[in-house]
Amino acid sequence: MENQEIQILLVEDNKSDAALTIRALKKHNLANNLVHLIDGAQAIDFIFGKGEFSSRDPEIKPKVIFLDIKMPKISGLEVLRIIKADERTKRIPVVMMTSSNEERDIMESHQLGVNSYVVKPLGFANFSKTIAELGFYWLAVNNAPRQ
Amino acid sequence: MDKWKNPKLVLVSVNEIDLQNKEKEKRAQELLTANKELVFQNDEKEKRAQELIVANHELVLQNIENEKRAAALTLANADLLRQNAEIKELTLALEAAKQELETAYLEKQRQALVLQAANQELESFSYSVSHDLRAPLRAINGFTEILLEEYIEKLGEDAQYLLGEIIANSKKMGQLIDNLLDFSRLSKQQISFARVDLDLLVRSVTDQLCRLEPEREIQFEFDCPDAGFGDRNMLRQVLVNLVSNALKYTSKKQKTRIQIACHREENNCIFSIRDNGAGFDMMYYDKLFGVFQRLHSSNEFEGTGVGLAIVQKIIAKHGGKVWAQAQVNEGACFYFSLPFSS
Repeated sequence: MENQEIQILLVEDNKSDAALTIRALKKHNLANNLVHLIDGAQAIDFIFGKGEFSSRDPEIKPKVIFLDIKMPKISGLEVLRIIKADERTKRIPVVMMTSSNEERDIMESHQLGVNSYVVKPLGFANFSKTIAELGFYWLAVNNAPRQ
Repeated sequence: MDKWKNPKLVLVSVNEIDLQNKEKEKRAQELLTANKELVFQNDEKEKRAQELIVANHELVLQNIENEKRAAALTLANADLLRQNAEIKELTLALEAAKQELETAYLEKQRQALVLQAANQELESFSYSVSHDLRAPLRAINGFTEILLEEYIEKLGEDAQYLLGEIIANSKKMGQLIDNLLDFSRLSKQQISFARVDLDLLVRSVTDQLCRLEPEREIQFEFDCPDAGFGDRNMLRQVLVNLVSNALKYTSKKQKTRIQIACHREENNCIFSIRDNGAGFDMMYYDKLFGVFQRLHSSNEFEGTGVGLAIVQKIIAKHGGKVWAQAQVNEGACFYFSLPFSS
C-alpha cells in the first residue's frame, strides 16, 4: 500500500481538523488515495522515502500536498522550504492550510514558492466548500508537470 | 709825615682812588648782574618747586588710585578663587550627573531589552491565539454543523435549538478572536501617510455599509470639504467602525439620520459623525474607548467592544484625538482630530 498512487497528501496534526478535512473531501468524492500524516517530520520522511517510510518509492509523488502551517517538530513552513529547495520535489504543488491570515506567514510561504495559501474558514459549510474547491482544482483542473 | 702834604704822593693816591672807584663800580656792576642772575635762578627754583608740588600731588593721587586698584585686584583674586572652587564643585556635580545618566542609560537599555522580550512574547502570544484558539472552535462549529445536517431527522426541535446556540456562540467567539487580533496587530502596523479625500472616503464607506441593510431608510448628510492627512486604509477602518456604530445604534429608531462633517481648526482637521440613535450615558464615558468595554448589552445591540478601541488606537497613531458626546436615547456624536502635518 505504501507504493500506491497518491492523490492528496494531507499533513495535519490536529485530529479534528483532519477529520473535518477528510469528511469534506469524502463528501465530494475527492478522498480516494488520500494519505494523512500528523507532523512535518513524518511528511519529510514520507516524501523522501526515509525513516519509517524507507521502503516507499519517493518517485511516486502526490498530486498535491495540503500542509498545515503550525505543527510540532517540523512546522509546515520548514516542510515547504525543504520541498521547494529540492530539485526532486519542488514541482509538487503545495497548499498551505492555516488558521489565520498572519501577514508574515503569507509572505514567507509565497517567498518559499507555495502554490496556494488558504485560511480555513470557521463555519463547516464554508470550510467544506473551500476544501472541496481546493481538491477539485488541484486534482482535476490543474495540469501539473508529468513526474 | 703827612702824605697829603706831598703833592706827588697825593696825585698817586688820587689816581689810586680813581682806579679803586672804577674797580668798585665794575664790581658793583658785576654784583648787579650776579644779583639779577640770582633773582632769575630763584624764580626758576620757585617754578621748579611749584612743579614739584604739582607732581607730588599727582603722585599722591596716583598712589591712592594704585591702592584702590590693589584692593580691587585683591577682591577680584578672591572672586577668582571662589569661582575656581565653584567650577571644581560644578565639575564634580557634572561628573556625578554623567555617572547618573550612564546608569540611567544602562537601565533604559535593560528596560528596552525587557520590553523587547515582552513584545516578542506578546507577538508569539497573539500568533498562538490566532492559530490555537481557532482550531478547537472550528472543530466545535464543524462537528455541530455536521450533526445538525446529517442527523436532523433524529433530533427534536429542542436539540436543534441547542445545536444552533452552540454554532452561534462558536461563531461569536471566532469574531472576538478576529477583532482582538486586529487590535493587537495595529500596534506594529506602520502608517503610510498620504493626502486623503475625506468626502470620497466617507461616501464610499457609507455606500458599502448601506448596501448591507437595503431595507432601512437612512438619511445621510455630508459636509466634508477638507482633505485629511493619514493612512488611507487605517482611516477607512476608522470610518467603517464609526459609521457602522452609528447604523447599529440607530437601528431601533424609525428614522435614521446621520450627519458627517469635517472642518479645519488651526493645524487640525476635526471630523464629526452625529446620529440620532440610542446614545449612551456620559457617566460611563471613561469606558467608551476601552478594549472589550461595552456600554450596551449584546442582547440590546450586538458587538464585541473592540471597534472604538481600534478607532482610538488608529487616531492616536496619527497624532490625533478621539472624543464623544451623547445623551441616552437622543443620539451620539463622535469626533476625531487629524493633524495636517505629522
